[in-house]
Amino acid sequence: MTAWKRWTAAALCALGVLTLLVTVSTGARAQAPAVDPEAVRILKRMTDHLAGVQQFSVRSQNIIEDLYASRHRVDYDISGAVTVKRPNKMRFSRAGDWNQRFFYDGKTMALYNPNEKVYATKPAPDTLEKMIELARENVGIVLPAADLVYRNAFSLLMQDVTLAAVVGKAVINGVKCDHLLFSRPGVDFQVWVAEGEQPWPVKYVVTETGTPARLSITTFLSDWKTAIDVDDAQFVFVPPKGTQAISFIPISEANVPGR
Amino acid sequence: MKSICRIAGAVVFLSAILAPDAEALRGRGAAFAVGAAAGSSKASAAEAEAAAAQQQAATANQQAAAAQQQAAAAEKELAAEKQKNAAAAQQPGSPMPPAAAPGQPLPLGTVVPAIPAGCVSTPVNNVNYYYCGGNFYKAAYQGSTLVYVTTEAK
Repeated sequence: MTAWKRWTAAALCALGVLTLLVTVSTGARAQAPAVDPEAVRILKRMTDHLAGVQQFSVRSQNIIEDLYASRHRVDYDISGAVTVKRPNKMRFSRAGDWNQRFFYDGKTMALYNPNEKVYATKPAPDTLEKMIELARENVGIVLPAADLVYRNAFSLLMQDVTLAAVVGKAVINGVKCDHLLFSRPGVDFQVWVAEGEQPWPVKYVVTETGTPARLSITTFLSDWKTAIDVDDAQFVFVPPKGTQAISFIPISEANVPGR
Repeated sequence: MKSICRIAGAVVFLSAILAPDAEALRGRGAAFAVGAAAGSSKASAAEAEAAAAQQQAATANQQAAAAQQQAAAAEKELAAEKQKNAAAAQQPGSPMPPAAAPGQPLPLGTVVPAIPAGCVSTPVNNVNYYYCGGNFYKAAYQGSTLVYVTTEAK
């Protein structure tokens, strides 16, 4: 009986040591330097490339994951096209669950729903960066391609990043890419950057990590063009006949019961 | 998800042509709000229908309860009648005429994702107002989402 007790004690002791070892090694791995300079270099190459482009157009395809209250997963798809001309012009159109067009000509921003024949306009600042800020803070419009437009996109993307890694190579729609992973509190994002002389972003996945659902928004970007016809008139919104002006609800006044 | 939605004003523009915009990645969760808002407007419509159905069910329950009360009152005088009434009230399929739901006026400024069915459009000074259920609605953008807001009669 004594021998059995001794054996049990030894076994428990061994188990304890093993547990300790596992814990220590796991901890050591978690604390290893997690920002791979190669991933950062490729990201910077992409953002520098974008910042150096005076004008561009790109097609986008979004897949937006959502959960019904019943916890069933549903995905929404949105097709869009953006045209940007620095320093103060932008337009985009989207098709999908609803059709919509946005115009910014350096003075005014306009949102237009052709199907419902309604639009709203608002005086806007004279730079893309300030306009994006106003749209987001005062109107609640999250503009597309904001990270392409910001001159300091790299520092914005890298802010609070705790992990940067090169996942590997991938081919997206025929384009060979570097696949990068970044993480910051609450958000993981993956970027696929085209190899070669034109390091465009080809795919983005942003994953919300702060909730159990871990929903993502996936974006495919294609048909990047810089040699485009960018007549300034195409950024000016002229209300078509028979359309009706409506207003933007300021964010502070939003009153959405139950949401 | 819903709170994130609210933070961003439950809106979205292009639900993000480029979802992971730098702002979103700054931790504001805007990109997710985008997705959430885009999805939730549809989900809300479906949920609103479900809620309406629940309300109808609740109304039916109330009616059933009222019938039961009546039955209870009758019980004092006619035990036999009581039994009959109570049985009728408890039958889920008992022929209870549905009440014509009178419109419940909503607080001004209430935002709904879609005009309720049966609303009548009335243009005033080139602005379309929609009237139904005791409420006037007009269209507005909440972020990039087209919504309808209860408003005063013009």
